[in-house]
Amino acid sequence: MKRLSPGTIGFGLLTAFVFIILYGPIFVPIISSFFTVKYGQVDWSNANLDAYRLLINNEGILTALQNTLIVGVSAVILALIVGCFLAMFYQFSQSPGRGLVQFIIFLPFLMPPIITGLALLIFFREIDFERSLVTVIIGHTVFVLALVYRTILVRLQALGMNMVEASYDLGASGWQTFRLIILPNLKSAMIGAAILAFALSFDETMITILVTGTDNTLPIRLWAMMRLGFTPDINALVAAILGFTTLLVVVAARHLIPKEFTSREA
Amino acid sequence: MKKPAGMKKRIAGLPREVNQIGRTPWVLTVLAYGLPCVFILIPLISFLAYSFFWVKGTEVHYDFTLLNYVRIVAEDIYLPVLWRTCILCLEVAVLTILFGYPVAYFLASLDGRKKYVLLMLLLVPLLMSYVIKIYAIRSILGGTGFLNRFLMATGLIQEPLTIFVFNLNAVLLALTVLLIPFAVLPIFLSLEKLPRNLLDASADLGASELQTFVRVVLPLSLPGVVAAASFVFVLAIGDFLTPQMVGGNSGFTFGRIVYSQFGTAYNWPFGSALSVLLCAVVIIAILVGSRFGNKRGVA
Repeated sequence: MKRLSPGTIGFGLLTAFVFIILYGPIFVPIISSFFTVKYGQVDWSNANLDAYRLLINNEGILTALQNTLIVGVSAVILALIVGCFLAMFYQFSQSPGRGLVQFIIFLPFLMPPIITGLALLIFFREIDFERSLVTVIIGHTVFVLALVYRTILVRLQALGMNMVEASYDLGASGWQTFRLIILPNLKSAMIGAAILAFALSFDETMITILVTGTDNTLPIRLWAMMRLGFTPDINALVAAILGFTTLLVVVAARHLIPKEFTSREA
Repeated sequence: MKKPAGMKKRIAGLPREVNQIGRTPWVLTVLAYGLPCVFILIPLISFLAYSFFWVKGTEVHYDFTLLNYVRIVAEDIYLPVLWRTCILCLEVAVLTILFGYPVAYFLASLDGRKKYVLLMLLLVPLLMSYVIKIYAIRSILGGTGFLNRFLMATGLIQEPLTIFVFNLNAVLLALTVLLIPFAVLPIFLSLEKLPRNLLDASADLGASELQTFVRVVLPLSLPGVVAAASFVFVLAIGDFLTPQMVGGNSGFTFGRIVYSQFGTAYNWPFGSALSVLLCAVVIIAILVGSRFGNKRGVA
């Protein structure tokens, strides 16, 4: 499809339009972070970093950012441990009800976040577990678990049983096989899944808003502030997050996209 | 004497050691079944159970009642709002597909590296802060927003439009912008699976590009379209923050009603019953999607 037919050009133009729609809402805050905006009019003459200076002095935002990072890292580590364990368990053992448990693991990902959030909210209330960052971490872990589990399971299935059997044949213990054979083979899948899971957790709003106590994560903090309108430092924060996220995506892409696409022509 | 015994032990031991892969300590078995049950199944069950309880003041009464469900049917606000929300989310699905299909088609027609770089670029906005995006969309659609000033500058309108401010139209547009990437992905995957030689055959037999598209490409990519539609629909109907932010007072959706029961209205059992209804709609959408759509597209 090298030739440029009218159809291709039309589709190309529409694609460009969609990209503008998608990126418009992202560029608005970025531009506002460098320029002063008054009455919806951008003052192009005066680029400055004031917004960034305000940001590093805004304690509420920084605390929220810190909370978000704590939640994200904890949820990712928990999801990796549990996801890896569950994937290995259901891949290597002939346990009954495998399909059913797998279905349960996927539920929080299939159902709207509001359902997962409400279910956890009611559950925590019934067991008298006070809402805090811990409940948020549990909520996020449950939410990203399906993704991590699935990624690791797919890699395990591709790995096959031969290497594991060979390892046992050669006298390795179960732990040795896990540490020396399985884990190294799972590494890139785990890194990719971890990055995606972290990105999901970083921006998770709907479950968090339901299960959080008094501690705010960044999206919740932003949500609360949005009613009043944003100050320039929020725009700076958005720009910073954009840069950071793009970096994460590039790194994740290297681990998740098949090698043939990234190395070819590169 | 010792040596053969050792040999025998090792040979006999071999199958057992291989078997070890399938033999796990009971603690791990308990964990493997217990963790998903405790943290996913039990919360979902307790949420289902809650829909049969009732509340007085701030106290939940734990005895079985169908009152919540009766109330949903009896009061003529909940079902109409649910119906309107379903229509809204279907419209969102249709709009995202109208925008997403050309993008998916264009991306699939590119080759090699370019294709995946553009696909990546399409997915990047998904990882951007969701709250910020809603806020930006609101400011773009608003009375003095970019859209109105652009339309006034081009002379298309004289006065700022208010049809996109704080109502269901605003919710529709905001959700569409937010969810387009989710429509592109399944359609892209179904187009990718399309055998190239079918297109060549169609061209060989004298079909024009348009004919090939209408008679070959479109029908074969329909499963992807259905998958995309159910995907977007489920995401849209579960969203209660976007309508809250851009919908104002008239843009009331079912998700907002559910959420309000857990906030200001403080009637958890009733909220649970409403969510069960929401769940039912979502399950139907997912079933339709996986029955008529390609499962690989969603996964």
